[in-house]
Amino acid sequence: MGQILDFTLLFLLLVTAVATARVRDLFAAVMLSGIYGLVSASFFVTMDAVDVAFTEAAVGAGVFPLLLLAVLAMVGRYEKTAYRRPWAALILVTITGAMLVNGTLDMPAFGSADSPAQQHVAQRYIEESPEEIGIPNMVTSVLASYRGYDTLGEVVVIFTAAIGVLALLPSLGGGVRRKRESDGMGDHQVLRIVSKILMPVILLFALYVQFHGEYGPGGGFQAGVIFAAGIILYTMLFGLDTAQAVIKPSVLRVLAATGVLLYGGVGLLSFLSGANFLDYSALAEDPVSGQHIGIILIELGVGITVAAAIILIFFAFSEAAGENGEET
Amino acid sequence: MLAGTAIALLVVMAMALIRALLGPTIYDRILAVNLFGTKTVLLIAVAGFLFGRPDFLDIALTYALINFISVIGVLRFFEYSNAQTDGKGA
Repeated sequence: MGQILDFTLLFLLLVTAVATARVRDLFAAVMLSGIYGLVSASFFVTMDAVDVAFTEAAVGAGVFPLLLLAVLAMVGRYEKTAYRRPWAALILVTITGAMLVNGTLDMPAFGSADSPAQQHVAQRYIEESPEEIGIPNMVTSVLASYRGYDTLGEVVVIFTAAIGVLALLPSLGGGVRRKRESDGMGDHQVLRIVSKILMPVILLFALYVQFHGEYGPGGGFQAGVIFAAGIILYTMLFGLDTAQAVIKPSVLRVLAATGVLLYGGVGLLSFLSGANFLDYSALAEDPVSGQHIGIILIELGVGITVAAAIILIFFAFSEAAGENGEET
Repeated sequence: MLAGTAIALLVVMAMALIRALLGPTIYDRILAVNLFGTKTVLLIAVAGFLFGRPDFLDIALTYALINFISVIGVLRFFEYSNAQTDGKGA
């Protein structure tokens, strides 16, 4: 059964990818990229990579198409370049693809016990982490504690991405803002009421994912994205001005930095307590509870930065699209 | 039983994908993506019980939420760009 599932999902993935590359209508391409996200997340689920699937669900199928749509509102719906067949690129891609496929033939079978990935440190994580870190979800142990330094780097990347987008697009809240006439969804009563009911549930679910990451799939990244998705829903229904009155971009900018600072601060604190950078064992008397405190704090930092960065990026795009729309 | 359900869901997903590829109108595609999302939620829930991992339900929940938000996002975009073309025509 598992094989049928894998095979079908991979086939759907392939069809979607080829179609996304071929379609000229960019709106259809965004729709297909949403499907691509959904299929790849299902595929991750069947491979038992639950945390990855969770991220793919929140980012690949959720926020990514929304951001692409915001871009489409700025650049228009159809691809502008004339359709020609780029044979050289196609040949290059085919050769590279063939070499990659050839490379996978030498790889050990999926889930094989003697593959290098299982031989290296994974064994130790599985055996020692219940005593050392003491939380049921080993993915979180590895991500937040053993490889805490890498995760800090990832959070900084997201923070930098937000800075980059804000620097490229018109500044938020800066200068004189014109009041838009048709903000929000006009008279969509049903959607507004349904969303008002759903909003608290979405935000609560985000908090559940945030603080349940040690026990089940989830954590700061996923929670941040889900939280941001809730705010994006609010923005789409009640208009950018209302949303920015609720959550000020200036506050968001501070929050985006606060998350990274919180993460780095935990590292510095453990450094000052006499352990290595981001070694949370020194944070409390008992090393295991020290680890717990450290993981909760850095996950919180991750969540705050991710949520703030995504909301900021979405605000920046919808602001730019609004300005663009008024001028043309 | 669960396996049969999973296969049926995969068939429906393939059909929805075909509709999303063919179009022809934008509403066909939106509806197809929405349907695909719903079937993915169900497939993940079924797979969770099939493989004995009921905590997959958390992911299915995320999908249900995200699917709703993205469909609204798509429709909102479409309403916005329609308003733009109307403005240009007038």
